[in-house]
Amino acid sequence: MTAFRFSRKQLCIPYALFLILFVVIPMLLILFYAFTGEGANGNLTFTFGNFINFFTSTAKLSTLLMSFTIAIISTALCLVIAYPLAYILARSHWKKKYVLLMLFIMPMWINFVLRITALRELLDLVGLLGKENYLNTIIGMVYDFLPFMILPLYTTLEKIDNSYLEAASDLGGNKLTVFTKVTFPLSMPGVISGITMVFMPSMTNYVVSDTLSNFNITILGKLIDEYFTTFNNWNMGSMISIILLVIIFVTMLLTGGFKDNKNEARGANLW
Amino acid sequence: MKKLSRIAATAAALIFSFSLVGLFSGCSKSNGSSNVLRVYNWEDYISEGGDGYVDLIGKFEKEYGVTVEYSTFGTNENMYNELKISAAGYDLVCPSDYMIMKMIAEDMVEPFSDEFLASGTYSTFVSPYIKDLFAKNGWTKYAAAYMWGTMGYVYNPETVDKEDLLSWSGIWNSKYDNKSTIKDSVRDSYFLGVAAVYKDELNELKAQFATGELTDEQYNEKITEIMNRTDENTIESAKNSLIDLKQYLYGFEVDSGKQDMITGKISINFAWSGDAVYSMDEAEDSGVYLNYIIPEECSNIWFDGWVMPKGANTDLAEKFINFLSRPENAVANMNYIGYTSAVAGDAVYEEMLDWYSEGEEGDLDENGNPLVKHDLNYFFKDTGDYDDYSIWVSEESLDRQVAAQYPSGDVLYRSAVMQYFDDKANAAINEMWEEIKGQPIPIWAYIVICVVIAAIVIIALSFVYKGKRSEPKPKKGYRVLKRGI
Repeated sequence: MTAFRFSRKQLCIPYALFLILFVVIPMLLILFYAFTGEGANGNLTFTFGNFINFFTSTAKLSTLLMSFTIAIISTALCLVIAYPLAYILARSHWKKKYVLLMLFIMPMWINFVLRITALRELLDLVGLLGKENYLNTIIGMVYDFLPFMILPLYTTLEKIDNSYLEAASDLGGNKLTVFTKVTFPLSMPGVISGITMVFMPSMTNYVVSDTLSNFNITILGKLIDEYFTTFNNWNMGSMISIILLVIIFVTMLLTGGFKDNKNEARGANLW
Repeated sequence: MKKLSRIAATAAALIFSFSLVGLFSGCSKSNGSSNVLRVYNWEDYISEGGDGYVDLIGKFEKEYGVTVEYSTFGTNENMYNELKISAAGYDLVCPSDYMIMKMIAEDMVEPFSDEFLASGTYSTFVSPYIKDLFAKNGWTKYAAAYMWGTMGYVYNPETVDKEDLLSWSGIWNSKYDNKSTIKDSVRDSYFLGVAAVYKDELNELKAQFATGELTDEQYNEKITEIMNRTDENTIESAKNSLIDLKQYLYGFEVDSGKQDMITGKISINFAWSGDAVYSMDEAEDSGVYLNYIIPEECSNIWFDGWVMPKGANTDLAEKFINFLSRPENAVANMNYIGYTSAVAGDAVYEEMLDWYSEGEEGDLDENGNPLVKHDLNYFFKDTGDYDDYSIWVSEESLDRQVAAQYPSGDVLYRSAVMQYFDDKANAAINEMWEEIKGQPIPIWAYIVICVVIAAIVIIALSFVYKGKRSEPKPKKGYRVLKRGI
């Protein structure tokens, strides 16, 4: 019996298979659908029609604009809420701080559809449901994605070497200067990571917008769903998916999400 | 009684197994095994047993000695795509009206056998009204109706004036601000929009019908024509009308409308009659009495029906349809699903008497008013032994379950079936729907976007500016040393 020996290369096979089956092939399929359509004689033809249609349709552009707005506001709110919290938690020497951190992360362990349904009843109790559709949706998004902002911020902030801050104060910086010149720049990888984690799903998570706005608000994810399930137009649905993908890609490029800077991003970048 | 039915069932099973043997010997079917039936149905759309309900699939399997592979879908379009991908994957599917029309038009379905059409249980017991409707539209050969109903408003009579809802446009009213929902579905909402746009024309037709200028058939034809208009003008006006409606709405709904009616979040819900019955039943349990009304201008007759995709095991599929069309099985289904079966027959009628009848002719209701006659002969006639298929109920009951389950005959004159729209009209209507859902955009959204763009520009500029400034300018009298490149 010959001993079967694993080499590193063989260990890669399952991942390669996974990538090909669940990432590469589906992507190619989406690309294929996005740029094809039914020609005049009913045959499959290559077309830019879906692309042109998207950017000439007021309905789709207004959906894009609304998704953007909701995602931007939700992300900004998440950042504003999460940063001080992560900062305080990371800087404090309190022994039980992990308990507090866990409390903020814990909602993630409960199914989010359940949480959103519960939130709907809560908003009804307060009297917002059915009246403030945009506010409700944003509340839902922030509620849902806050942990995704807290975690990367906390990990980055905690990893900042205290001696940098001490050095800064030694050199005469007051607390504000230390924060703006040292702490914040050093926490940028966490900020960017958090933004990408919140911004992307806020543009597509239509369970939140549907449930909390009583279907009054349409975001891009919902549009994609409608094209696939009710309008029965997979080509347009794929095109919208591709456009969304490009938008996210560009945002990540701009914010430097792809930057592989080992010194800055040590473990903080969840990506 | 139980024993008798068991003997009957055994006998039927025996007879059937013999016929199966005969089938096997002379059978040259190419598709799969002939004692497997693959059924593709809506979710929760057949009596599945448990809680005292009848397990119809199990009963069929036992009686005929076959296996049923049962699967379900959530939307017509999902079902259609699935069929396109694996054409011969199913023997029997249950799409809605317009999808049946599309499938017939695309030659995707097998016709029924002559025997099934002439003397099957389905042809014997299906309601004459449904039979006429199918014959008139040419669907008889390809589709067998399963469940049917109308569309209307479910409302809470304590907070809503019935008078307001005599017209579809009753919810375009600030009186019911944030109190009504409509369906998050293109076709149903388009229907509502068209009904509101052509309100005057529809009312004129109604007047003409009342004076006898139009026969019931002409009246129905004209209404069907109006409700199926898909020209540009109609779509544009329906769009504007529905966008206008949004300001008064609580929202759209898929399934939450029933629950929201019961809990009192809303007091008017645009609903299918089957869901209306469910809401009324459930609300009654918590002491709330809801009503159902079909506005005066027009309504939509919808139905779901069985069709056999090309290559299906038609023999067994027909047997299954016939099995479901036995009035006692139709009753089992109605009990479980809550929708109205297209099958008539005495067993169904007696069940309805049991549910709804409040007495006989001449009796008085609780308040001392005489009972009124709810005439259902249009539906049940000639499917059983009764001479007169009517139910005597109190006047209030006509606003409730019984009228949702079986509308009175005159409602049907003004009820149109919505046709399948061609691809071009469909695309236009979908585009309309997106605009309705996406608009109006609040002004603050533009402001936010502008602020963000401005912020990005400022940051970008500041980088550029910084970059320029950081270049050290050589002082006079000094030369810049060229650093190694």
